[in-house]
Amino acid sequence: MLGPGSARRRGPWRPRDELASATQELGATSREMFALGEGGGAALRSLDESPIEEDEEALREEDHDIDQFNEDTFGTGAVEDWEEQHEGLDDHAEDPDDLLKENNLAESISKLVIDSDLEDPAIMRAIPSNPPLQAPPRLNASMWDGPMVFGGIGNPFLSHLEENRMLSGSKDSILPKRPALGQDEERDLSDRAPPPRSTSPVIGSPPVRTAPIGTPPKHMSYLASQQPSILCPTPVHVRAPIHQRFSAPFNERMSPTQLLNLANSSLRAHHFQGGVTQMLNPLLLGTAQQTGRMSPSHFARMPGLVGSQLTAMKANLLQSRMGQMMPPVTGFRPYFSPATAGHLQDIRSSQSIFRADTTHLHPQHRRLLNQRLQLQNSRNQHRGLNGSAGDRHSRGSYHEQAKKDPYGNLMTQREKEWVSKIQMMQLQSADPYLDDYYYQNYFERLEKKQAALDLNSEGPKKERTKLITPQVAKLEHTYRPVQFEGSLGKLTVSSVNNPRKMIDAVVTTRTDDDETKEKLVRDKRRQTLFTIERTYSLVLEVQDLEKKFLQVSEAERPAVLEQRKSKIIQMYENLRGKQAHSTERVSDDHFVQIMCIRKGKRLAAKVLHLLSTEQAANVVLATARNLPYLVKKDSQDEVLPCLTEPCSLLVNRLPSSALTELLQQLTGSAQSSQPGSQFPSILQNKFGLTLFYVILSQGERLQSSEAASELMQDNRWTELVFAVTRELLKVPQASLAKPLFVPTNLLALFSHYVDRQTLNVLESKLQLSGKPR
Amino acid sequence: ATAMNYMPGTASLIEDIDKKHLVLLRDGRTLIGYLRSIDQFANLVVHQTLERIHVGQKYGDIPRGIFVVRGENVVLLGEIDLDKENMSTLQQVTVEKILEELRAEQEVRTKTEKLKIRFCQERGLVLPHLDTLDEY
Repeated sequence: MLGPGSARRRGPWRPRDELASATQELGATSREMFALGEGGGAALRSLDESPIEEDEEALREEDHDIDQFNEDTFGTGAVEDWEEQHEGLDDHAEDPDDLLKENNLAESISKLVIDSDLEDPAIMRAIPSNPPLQAPPRLNASMWDGPMVFGGIGNPFLSHLEENRMLSGSKDSILPKRPALGQDEERDLSDRAPPPRSTSPVIGSPPVRTAPIGTPPKHMSYLASQQPSILCPTPVHVRAPIHQRFSAPFNERMSPTQLLNLANSSLRAHHFQGGVTQMLNPLLLGTAQQTGRMSPSHFARMPGLVGSQLTAMKANLLQSRMGQMMPPVTGFRPYFSPATAGHLQDIRSSQSIFRADTTHLHPQHRRLLNQRLQLQNSRNQHRGLNGSAGDRHSRGSYHEQAKKDPYGNLMTQREKEWVSKIQMMQLQSADPYLDDYYYQNYFERLEKKQAALDLNSEGPKKERTKLITPQVAKLEHTYRPVQFEGSLGKLTVSSVNNPRKMIDAVVTTRTDDDETKEKLVRDKRRQTLFTIERTYSLVLEVQDLEKKFLQVSEAERPAVLEQRKSKIIQMYENLRGKQAHSTERVSDDHFVQIMCIRKGKRLAAKVLHLLSTEQAANVVLATARNLPYLVKKDSQDEVLPCLTEPCSLLVNRLPSSALTELLQQLTGSAQSSQPGSQFPSILQNKFGLTLFYVILSQGERLQSSEAASELMQDNRWTELVFAVTRELLKVPQASLAKPLFVPTNLLALFSHYVDRQTLNVLESKLQLSGKPR
Repeated sequence: ATAMNYMPGTASLIEDIDKKHLVLLRDGRTLIGYLRSIDQFANLVVHQTLERIHVGQKYGDIPRGIFVVRGENVVLLGEIDLDKENMSTLQQVTVEKILEELRAEQEVRTKTEKLKIRFCQERGLVLPHLDTLDEY
């Protein structure tokens, strides 16, 4: 700001002027210094060649400046209550409301509009080649800039955005580094030397009204007539006129200075409420970067505080734009993480603290801020228009609508995209089948239907629009407590994601010897329940894997299959129990325990479907072996019939040897050749009887299918059938259970073994012929 | 166009922007206006809003200007078919009249309610009454 400027002058100017200009700059820039809160440490390099010694000198000068500034504000030169001193300054005669009257409006707008600046010879001279507005754009645009800023620029500047990200947290980063000043600025400085400052500026003194050399007289008269109040005039919604006005004069050939000039005349007197200000601060600072330093000319160009109707309008605009600026900006980052959101809040809050004392700023500070704000706003306006104009052009058919609806497209395309981006982000999930089950199923079915239709039509496969939500991998966040080097202990910062550890709960297993038997039993039961739950989860996982198998690519399928297999093995082990030794048979205890519990039986039914034949046979054998006991236990629950289906499915697959063994186990005639005493109880149980019938039916099928049946070769089968037949005859009809179903081939089976008479008896007793009772 | 064709199967208000909508709020108010802006919470900016009060076959509009509605207060909203709106059979009356009608209706309602309670009390019955709104 100061340095290069003065460096510039050192060359062509005479020493006297140099001093004068330096002091002027001092006065003018002191406010700015405070506005920014920055020490004069920023050494700005000019774009032109600047020898090092000039920079050093500039630095030195800046240091000197700081002292001066401090003097001004806090030292002897400072005046505490500027408000009082300003009391008499405003033009009481003028009614603030008058300012808002339309006739004034049009005039002032036309006066303020850039045309005047463009005609300004000083400016034209100063700028050799009017740089296009969009190109230099806001290289260091802060992230606070809304979608409008980037509307025309696009993503290339995102990288710059990243660089200058205000979210890097510290206050220091909020204050942007001042990049090299453009040529324009320097030239302008040279032309716009403000008048020398005779005394240290008294805060509260009438604002410096001196105009730069090149200011057209129009400005002066206009500004002089305005009231220098800092009060906020009633905002008036005059959005449309500004829109239209600005579109014309805003061309690409405006330099930042010109914009600033424009900004000058408005919003000067606008007293920002805290809320708006705190958000605007980065904006202003962002603007500052672009304009480089605040040259004294900027100050000079805002002679007097202007309470203009334009102020009101722009204030309104600003405020209306604010809401739009903030969110789109934050959402501009592709993946808006919660961390950043928090950060944003922090920034805002820190800025509010930072801003808290702006109410006591020197009025020129405020003016400065305001004008930067205005610059920013006008820029955004410009960009916003560009963006939305593009939008309008694309909707040729809607042109009429747009004409009729002057308030249309208040929400720009960019903002709409931003909202939809957020919505998309909310749909990201690590496990879509878990998070959005119904949506997934619905779409699967839809696609299947479409696919079916496609097949019918034999047409080209249409690309159906599908919601492609990126699947985010589940990240494990383990909280590692922050530790400073060299210190003992760690800091604990608790948040919602890692709450403070209040209790150190450690699991201790008690090894009491006097644990009662009841307790043991209770524990055993608890363990069994746990096993059941774990196995159930395995079943669910396998189901998910099966679904996944269908979705996933060919390459990944073997892996999925493997997973499935391993889970099934685990399931089986859980159910059946582990073998103590490889040669020994697994004891039935574990299994029986499970089967005594209602949920265990249901679990067994589910698991049976997944097991291999051998494993399933094992399970069913165990069931049959212990069936009398289970029947007794099941008398209240009556859940055993749920096993019927899987068991019958299995039995129908069984070879003859296994079948025989099964029947043996079922009848309890494993040890002796005769059916056990428990056998009748099985017949009295629904499930038992059904299973029994199923076995017999399968036997009959096997028998009749092969000529030289294996089944018949084994005596056991024949013996068993004889035995059971005898039992059946013995059992009273009334006590027989009602089976779930009666296989049709039982009659044929019995006909092989008994005579005609007995067959008839059996038939009537067991209702084998299928006639209803 | 702002077609959200890359988000099939989702609900979004983007397509509803700049169209005339009817918004029902949780406090029972009915707003009619042009939906100008939304955000991710379904906060709405409604422009040229009218608060419409319905009593029987009559209704009255109170012009309200611009409404900014917090998303959580919206019960439902829907686009108004302008053609169907013209064909509506409801009768528009002045605001004063409709408020009068509303008051009258409220009176009737409270009277019947009181009557019900009295009758029940006489017979020793207890009416289940709503202590709390909304959820219960």
